[in-house]
Amino acid sequence: MNENNDDILIQLKGLTKRFGNFYAVSNIDLEIKRGEIVGFLGPNGAGKTTTMKMMAYLLRPTAGEIWIRNNGDLTRLSSKNRDYLLDNIGFMIEIPTFYGDMTPRQILSYFANLKGYPRKKVKIRVEEVVRLFGLSEWIDTKIKKFSKGMKQKIGIGSAIIHDPEIIVLDEPQTGLDPKARKDVRDLILKLKQMEKTIFLSSHLLYEISEVADRIAIIHKSKLIAYDTLDNLELKSRKSLINFELIDYSKHNLTDLIERLNKIILPLNGLGSGSVNKIRFNENSKMFEVPFNGVPENQLKIHKALFENNFNVLEFSVPKANLLESLFIDLTDESYKEMLSPEREIIPN
Amino acid sequence: MSTELKQEQLEIEKIIKEKQTIGINRYITQITDTINFEIKRTWKTFIIMLFVYLGIFLLSLLLAELREAAGVELPEESIDYLGDYFGFFGILIIISTATFGGGIIAEDFQKQTGNLLFPKISKSRLLIGRIISRYALNVILIAFYYLMVGIITFYKYQELPDTYIISMGWALFYTFMVFTIVIFMSSINKSKSAAIIISILLFLIAFNIIDSILMFTRTGIEPIFLPTYYENIIQASLDMPDPRFETVSFGRPGGNNPEFKRWLTPSIPGAIIGMSLISFLTLTAAYLLYKTRQSKNE
Repeated sequence: MNENNDDILIQLKGLTKRFGNFYAVSNIDLEIKRGEIVGFLGPNGAGKTTTMKMMAYLLRPTAGEIWIRNNGDLTRLSSKNRDYLLDNIGFMIEIPTFYGDMTPRQILSYFANLKGYPRKKVKIRVEEVVRLFGLSEWIDTKIKKFSKGMKQKIGIGSAIIHDPEIIVLDEPQTGLDPKARKDVRDLILKLKQMEKTIFLSSHLLYEISEVADRIAIIHKSKLIAYDTLDNLELKSRKSLINFELIDYSKHNLTDLIERLNKIILPLNGLGSGSVNKIRFNENSKMFEVPFNGVPENQLKIHKALFENNFNVLEFSVPKANLLESLFIDLTDESYKEMLSPEREIIPN
Repeated sequence: MSTELKQEQLEIEKIIKEKQTIGINRYITQITDTINFEIKRTWKTFIIMLFVYLGIFLLSLLLAELREAAGVELPEESIDYLGDYFGFFGILIIISTATFGGGIIAEDFQKQTGNLLFPKISKSRLLIGRIISRYALNVILIAFYYLMVGIITFYKYQELPDTYIISMGWALFYTFMVFTIVIFMSSINKSKSAAIIISILLFLIAFNIIDSILMFTRTGIEPIFLPTYYENIIQASLDMPDPRFETVSFGRPGGNNPEFKRWLTPSIPGAIIGMSLISFLTLTAAYLLYKTRQSKNE
């Protein structure tokens, strides 16, 4: 099949997976383009892993199709062509577990051979990948001695060992400490620099917002949004400003929020509905102002705070918070609209 | 186009060509790669089992030597001497086969290693590669045991019975059948340990109890459906008994004790058909369950 858009590397069409009467993934349409990082976001049990398992042919779709670009054409994934079609993709599904008595060299060499990587180059390739992850000294150490973060790196290594164009990573940062999470994030960005196309699932909003070019949000088995973060922001017409006041503790908090509401809400572009009121985050000690995401309004709010003699210490529109806000909004709407009736148990 | 670019282009084309060639032979290369990998992975178990086989041989040898030292004469025929070394051989086969085969399917689901493996290799190729590698290691163990028994028999009698190799052939066939049953156990159990323990209990206890029940109920039925029955042909093939059953009685000596018919060994065609059938059925069932397990792995 020839596609007009040559940039599309993977296309999911009406992808559905049902276990008995339960819909794990329902009618998902998604396109992944060359060179981009697509963040696949959703709460636990939303259907992320099931979608990825279908892409890896670990699960057969109940309905729908998966198309993968091969030799210039998009080809439908089937049992007959899965061998060569999946050669172009590297998968890391769920938390990677290895045979503890084997070394990264042995495991990665085996995987490279299985995927048909040129045999004469396997040794060099394995050393190259291990070096990329900063684990050269550990290449001949048994994996049972590795930390969780190191195993995760070897998991990603096993996905890229045969040098695929597309990399599918399922929750690569889950369960890792902050340092290991940052390492994995840097690795993902390094892979992007190497012009890899990455499909990355996570429920860690910050990690996705830091690396993804486009974000697909899945909730209760359905894809409820798929766009760039900026476009999602525009579509939802909602964003969030965080600001910190130096001397807020001198005031009565309720009175202070009331006063801020009076000054700021007329400027936020969202009206003064109860949902759009200013909140105080006890953890971060920051005030959170919902606004419509338009920079002019952001500037007006900033000015208004100064004009009213508030001592503003910090003023920002954090992307992670924005994504969190968007995510909550979208999933809330999804709940409200009951978009997924099929997901419920169907009586026989 | 510069020479460097041309050279790079040629290099890329060469890699693609090489990749495609491997693609054509993928089925075979994946199986051979799996065999190599699995041999490396189970090497430690193999060495341990090698010492177990050696230990059992040495104990049997010690027993024979003690008997001789106590004044008991050596059996007249080398066949009888050889047979003395097969008392625990059946148990040995069951233990080593269960150890090698218990995790063959269950392990990847227990440890979730399947998520890394299965996008790279199909279930059938992985299973074939694993069966070949682990069975091959078992074959080496059995050959090693026969070699040691053969050497000591030759040392004592300066000859080896003609049926020595035939007996080894039956041992290998029996091992394969036990292996397929263990694989089946691995396909229905969640953990490697459960598959190993259940397999051993099945062979050492359950099948033997059924065999006794058949004997005491005087059905006279030859227990060809019991896998353990086929173990008897390993030793019996050294000197095939005729008839293939005996009459035994239990109770007070000299009393009017009831007699029971006990089957000693299957016939040669019976053993070939019986073991082939059991192997085929259990292996097919294991593979089908494995496939089903794959699609339900969520």
